[in-house]
Amino acid sequence: MISLGAYLGISFILFICGIMVMIARKNIIAILLGIELILNASALNFAAYTKFVNGNLEGHIMALFIIITAAAESAVGLGIVIRFFQLRESIHIDDASTLQN
Amino acid sequence: MHLNYLANIGRYIPEILLTILMVGLILLETTYKEDEKNRRYIFITAIIGLVATFAALLANMGGKAEAIFSNAIVIDDFSTLLKMVMVLGTIGAVYLSRFSRDVYESLKTEFVIMAIGILIGGFLLASANNMLTFYLGIETLSILSYVMASLKKNDERSSEAGLKYALYGGISAGLMLFGMSHIFGVIGTIQFTGIAKMVPTLSPVQIAILMPSFLLFFAGIGYKIASVPFHMWSPDVYEGSPTPVTTFFAIVPKLAGIAGLVRITAIFFAVDSPLKIGWVGLMIVISALTMTVGNVTAIGQKSVKRMLAYSSISHAGIMLAGLIVMNNVGIRAVVFYAITYVFMTLVAFYIVSIVQDKYGNDNFDRFSGLIYRYPFMAVMMTVVMFSLTGLPPLAGFVAKYNIIQSLINTRNYSLAVVLGLNSVVSAYYYLKIVRIMVLKPQENNETIEGFGFLNQMVIVVMTIPVFTLGIFWETVMSWAGNAKLFIQ
Repeated sequence: MISLGAYLGISFILFICGIMVMIARKNIIAILLGIELILNASALNFAAYTKFVNGNLEGHIMALFIIITAAAESAVGLGIVIRFFQLRESIHIDDASTLQN
Repeated sequence: MHLNYLANIGRYIPEILLTILMVGLILLETTYKEDEKNRRYIFITAIIGLVATFAALLANMGGKAEAIFSNAIVIDDFSTLLKMVMVLGTIGAVYLSRFSRDVYESLKTEFVIMAIGILIGGFLLASANNMLTFYLGIETLSILSYVMASLKKNDERSSEAGLKYALYGGISAGLMLFGMSHIFGVIGTIQFTGIAKMVPTLSPVQIAILMPSFLLFFAGIGYKIASVPFHMWSPDVYEGSPTPVTTFFAIVPKLAGIAGLVRITAIFFAVDSPLKIGWVGLMIVISALTMTVGNVTAIGQKSVKRMLAYSSISHAGIMLAGLIVMNNVGIRAVVFYAITYVFMTLVAFYIVSIVQDKYGNDNFDRFSGLIYRYPFMAVMMTVVMFSLTGLPPLAGFVAKYNIIQSLINTRNYSLAVVLGLNSVVSAYYYLKIVRIMVLKPQENNETIEGFGFLNQMVIVVMTIPVFTLGIFWETVMSWAGNAKLFIQ
């Protein structure tokens, strides 16, 4: 049987990967993917803690809601990226710099 | 079949009203979108619905504080009062969007619908009593805010603002969830009251896991209220978004975030524990940093909207300072501050929006000599700027005084000193706009169409509370004092 530690290890690795992607990549789509990784890491955590620590369904429900809101968030995020690409013809994060002064 | 959880649905009427209003407006909008003349019915419906929500909230005031829907939602006077303030801010922003030229004519109705959606999220966040409703409240607020920030579809700056908001928002929501998942793992429940019961009985190992978890948890909420170090999105989004949207962002998400933060602070850390010491220390550092960074960066700004963005960051810092005083005096001070902040922000943004509509940008120079053309408006702007600085006898002074008083009562002298010094710094950039309006010769003699009689009246009506709250503040203060948090 897979232990709680294994689940937590996987989710921690996912979390670190997500943070690294968001810091290192300059592509906006890649940053959105990094956000998804972090959200999945926490959903995995909730599910694993529910299975091993306490038997009530609260964690499972949290995980379900995380999946739903993650879908909504990436839909809106991609919509905004498409609009940005149409106006600027680039999805490089450094091109989003007209507002800095 | 038990339907016990529906027994208290009467306390939830404001939220239900808002949801019905939002759905109804979507139907109306799809029907009447094409017709220029019928569009105003949508606005009238929205204002009537918001006033009805306000009345429903008023009816809820003073009732017994209770947790409804299996402890998921708390209805207490604290959240109800802040919800009323949020509704007032929304009505102001909706009225501003009606005549602002910064929002495309065809998208104005969509602005109203999204504003009401964000308001629902704010209500959810203000009365959340478990991590699920808390998270859902934040996401409802955020996801609609991303769309709203990029409302000006063909404008590069607006879509860039939406993009930055979405990226920062996604990152901080992810961090918050990761923190929440470990809090859930260690404590075993997502109910806030269950967490509060467990906090005093934790072992050192559990505390070692919980400390970074609460830090991550703060990331999500700190992003919503734009506290340092999660404030970087705020000036860009405020500058890039259309002005009515900025007005809305400065009020509703910020107050909802403050309400949520007050609740989790008061519930989790009511009893002495190592976690409480850590949390209060974090709040003191973050509050001092937020005030200082906001104020110091505001000095060099050329755009008035950007200046107001940084000033709203520093106001969030001041509200955080009241929050570390975890007793009734501190919470009362925060609520009173929120009430005064709404009126000051609305007036300032109305005047900036009207000037910006005329000239196409909102540099400080556009305000030069405003007093010769519109003496009344210039005086109102001056009053609001004095109030934001915190000069007596205006509302901002009383609000700041209460926060400092509660800080000194609990011997947080250093933070009180930082707050006082920051008021001095803020005087520089608030009074700069007054100086430009009064002392600089006017650029031209053109009339500004936005300053019609009706709009001038609206601005005056919104400035009246800034005067009266500074003098007759005891009544409102006692409301705020009665607006207690519900803690089981």
